[in-house]
Amino acid sequence: MENSDNPQKTTRRKFIEKLFVGGGLLASALLLLRHGVAYVFPSMDSPPMRKLLIGRTGDLKSGEAKEVQVGDNLLYLVRDENGFKVLSSVCTHLGCKVNWEAHRNRFYCPCHKGIFDASGNVIEGPPPRALDEYKVAAENNLIYIWIENKSGSSV
Amino acid sequence: MSDNNSLKTQKLIIGLFSILLLVVLIIVAGVEMKLSRKPEVIVDISGDNKRCVTCHTEKGIALKAIDHWKQSLHAQQNISCTDCHTAKKGDFDAFYCPESDFLVAKHPTPKDCAECHAQQVDEFADSKHAHQFWLIKNADRSIFENPISTKHGCEQCHAIGNVWPDQSVGECDACHPKHTFSKAVARQPETCGECHVGPDHPHIEIYLESKHGNIFRSQEKKLDLNFSSKDGKPIPIDIPVCTTCHMDGNETQPMTHNVSARLAWESQAAWSFRTVWMADKLGDWKMKRSRMEDICKSCHSPEFVDSYLLTADLTNLQYNEIRRLMVGWNKKLTEKGIIKRLEKDGKFYSDVLLNGWDEVPEILMYHAWHHEGRRFRHGAEMMGADYTQWHGIWELQHDMVEMFTFAAEHGDPEAKKWVESTDPIKFAPYALYDIPGNAFGINVLSNTVPYVYKAYPDYWDRIKANVEKAYQNNVLTQNQFAFWIKRFENKEHYIGTKYKADSVMKKYTDLDSIDTKAFTKEAVQLELPGKPFWNW
Amino acid sequence: MNAKIRMWFEDRIPFNREKTAETTKELLNEPIPKHMKNWFYALGVTPLILFCFMVVTGIMLTFYYIPSPEKAFDSVRYITEEVSMGFWIRGIHRWASNLMVIAIFLHVIRVFFTRGYRKPRELNWILGILMLGATFTLCFTGYSLVNNQLSYWASTVGTNMIKEIPLIGPSVLALLRGGENVTANTLTRFYNLHILIMPALLFVLIGLHMLLVRLHGVAKLEDDDKEETYPFFPEHFYHGLVIMFLLLTLISALTVILPPGLGEPADPTVTPAHIKPEWYFFAVYSLLKFIPLQAGIILIMALVIAATFWPFIDEWIRKKKPNLKTHYVVGSLTIIIFLFFTVYEILVH
Repeated sequence: MENSDNPQKTTRRKFIEKLFVGGGLLASALLLLRHGVAYVFPSMDSPPMRKLLIGRTGDLKSGEAKEVQVGDNLLYLVRDENGFKVLSSVCTHLGCKVNWEAHRNRFYCPCHKGIFDASGNVIEGPPPRALDEYKVAAENNLIYIWIENKSGSSV
Repeated sequence: MSDNNSLKTQKLIIGLFSILLLVVLIIVAGVEMKLSRKPEVIVDISGDNKRCVTCHTEKGIALKAIDHWKQSLHAQQNISCTDCHTAKKGDFDAFYCPESDFLVAKHPTPKDCAECHAQQVDEFADSKHAHQFWLIKNADRSIFENPISTKHGCEQCHAIGNVWPDQSVGECDACHPKHTFSKAVARQPETCGECHVGPDHPHIEIYLESKHGNIFRSQEKKLDLNFSSKDGKPIPIDIPVCTTCHMDGNETQPMTHNVSARLAWESQAAWSFRTVWMADKLGDWKMKRSRMEDICKSCHSPEFVDSYLLTADLTNLQYNEIRRLMVGWNKKLTEKGIIKRLEKDGKFYSDVLLNGWDEVPEILMYHAWHHEGRRFRHGAEMMGADYTQWHGIWELQHDMVEMFTFAAEHGDPEAKKWVESTDPIKFAPYALYDIPGNAFGINVLSNTVPYVYKAYPDYWDRIKANVEKAYQNNVLTQNQFAFWIKRFENKEHYIGTKYKADSVMKKYTDLDSIDTKAFTKEAVQLELPGKPFWNW
Repeated sequence: MNAKIRMWFEDRIPFNREKTAETTKELLNEPIPKHMKNWFYALGVTPLILFCFMVVTGIMLTFYYIPSPEKAFDSVRYITEEVSMGFWIRGIHRWASNLMVIAIFLHVIRVFFTRGYRKPRELNWILGILMLGATFTLCFTGYSLVNNQLSYWASTVGTNMIKEIPLIGPSVLALLRGGENVTANTLTRFYNLHILIMPALLFVLIGLHMLLVRLHGVAKLEDDDKEETYPFFPEHFYHGLVIMFLLLTLISALTVILPPGLGEPADPTVTPAHIKPEWYFFAVYSLLKFIPLQAGIILIMALVIAATFWPFIDEWIRKKKPNLKTHYVVGSLTIIIFLFFTVYEILVH
């Protein structure tokens, strides 16, 4: 081994050794990093959903909106010609709570005068997109929404 | 040079270890920890319901009801207080909550449940659970038992078919206890056993002494009865509970809240008859039986199901022959004036079918139907051997003997003839049904005991005529009759006469004679030296 | 362009590049005596590597851990069972702590039997004893943070022992527990000790320890003053690297084979039938079963003081009796007694 005077062979051997050591180091370092990142980043798996009863079809007519409270969240149940929608009350601009103004048939955000129509679309002002919508399921005369199943342990 | 070499070796070692680490890290990535508990579900309580819960909690009123609700699937889905306890002004059960301006319904009824569970409520209302027979045919009890005794007696169970002022029928929480409305509790056999218990229909006892119930008990801790059987999936538990056969769905049968949908007999009735209940919706008895068979065949072979159910069917028919005897004799004794019906102002308060309570033949006839007559049949249907045997036919035969004795003592010559007869066949004063062999196997020696098998060479022909008549009477299906005939034609095989087991038999007769010797010596021939204390 | 940027930074961060490079080179070329090529002499760096593991994983654990009696156990459960790679991070932390104790013991044994503490390195020995104390405190508080039945009761019993220290005991106890009993205050205090005070202390002590090593130079063997040396980098550095990979592999494998357990959540109303501290406290735990508590505490304190000042005691004995190899006797006896009680405690149950 010490007397190997074939320079080509030596080079190849050196290359393989380098590959072995360097590759091993690099790969294990990368995997370590991946595991660390996987640990630190919150789980992005879509959490299980659950169905919540939030109203009955008789509760409101087309064009009307109704406040619904789910836990600490305020949501709006609205009915338009296409059926029922459940909108978040969080303004898509900077997160203030929008208010339903029944006489004007619109949602109004007091912070920067964002205005949304009864279906949650932006009409005026700075909000970049329509109000967030929840998945709605109507069964018989009952209206359910699907929300994330917050598990008590996700602290 | 050597330094360099050792450095190189070290480098290689580092490479080696880093690759080892790599392997271990890959393994680490594949490992998953078992969850030591299920994540809790957060219950959101908001709006009016929050006011209910907060106030009830402060005042300490019905706290457990709230705790139970929090464990329910309802709570997880935001179905809370006001969704069920909602009331309109003028509702029969509306009242103002004294601490608020809420109009609250005191008694949510099936109508309220139907808002979401319409199918279940409708199915229930079409089932015999909802039938008002106990009000329609109550002549006996209203007299024999006084009203207060029935409040927490028969009425409590029969409230499962409560008829509410809002016209809805049923009491859902009879099985789905409020406020968890748990599916698991509803499936627990003891839930059915709250009512299906006791001398008149010991179904829970029959179940628990059956193989089904015994295995259920041994596996109970491992079972999760909280499942949905709506979606045509295989039965998720390995042994049947009551609802598995009578309500839950499998791949072929939909889940139903109509407990009558799979029952082919009215075997609780005074006479066994093939059910005609809601035939327009549920189909005839054959349809209902085929539903039950679909469930049976989730676990059992068709051959077993056919032979087991046919034997149970013939037991039901056999009961009718005993019933015929009891009714005939009660009629005869009534006509002869030996016993009398209850009567006031020209109106009868008992009839020969639902009898009075003050005379021995009437009481015997009642028991021979309502108690032992049901045990006899239901035991045969649900593998409760003890109930078919000792709590069934044995007591039925005693009822018969007692009735004949009573009639003889009261001067009936036919009865007297029966009482005085020494012919062993006197215990079969009615026609018989039978089937060669049983559902469980071939017993080579089973033919050696029955007196009738040996004493009556035309026994099986007589039986065949009866079974054929039953088939013609449309209480057995064509397939069942064909099944019976197949066994009849090959009865030497099924009864076991075709096979010899003399040496086995000899072994046990020898052992038995040793037993006989032993007890003869130890007990029968024993004479004690001390005299009895009372002289005859 | 490059030069411009470099200039820009050099103006704002005025440090002497040449001098830094020189210092680095000097540090890397630190002469290491030949005997250090024996792996047994690399045990000093092992606890340091493990300490680094502990720091990294410890910081990561605080991302999810919640130091409150209601949530502590559940957050540990969450880390172990639900967070991606959580069991591994917690496993490394847990196994590294055990291995660290073992590595420190071995390092102490090596130093003791080679009399590495001899003049002029007595102070470094004392620093070492302090570090050992800090490590034990970290172990004890860390174990308590899991807040399961065993650790809750271990912390109750463990802190109760402190009460028996003469004069200051009760006050120290109250200070540690933040009240009369083991409560939420105790948990937050332990948390503070575990993630801030003790690691900071240990960090400073490690710095001082290494500084002293560097200032003195690595101790040569007692009877070979003219030992040859070799530079720290790269060979001794590689030693450390190999140890690091070995440890990481070993710990990761251990985590897969024996994942960190959870036990039952702490219940202050029920003492479990068998409570036990971690294995390295077995000897003390066992000793206290044989002698009265107060006597035991005083004995332990005496031993700790003796251990702290051992270099001076040893020197003093040597002056009196130059031919006596006291440290062999004392060292062997200590190991035998420690092992005896530890093994005894394992065997009793």
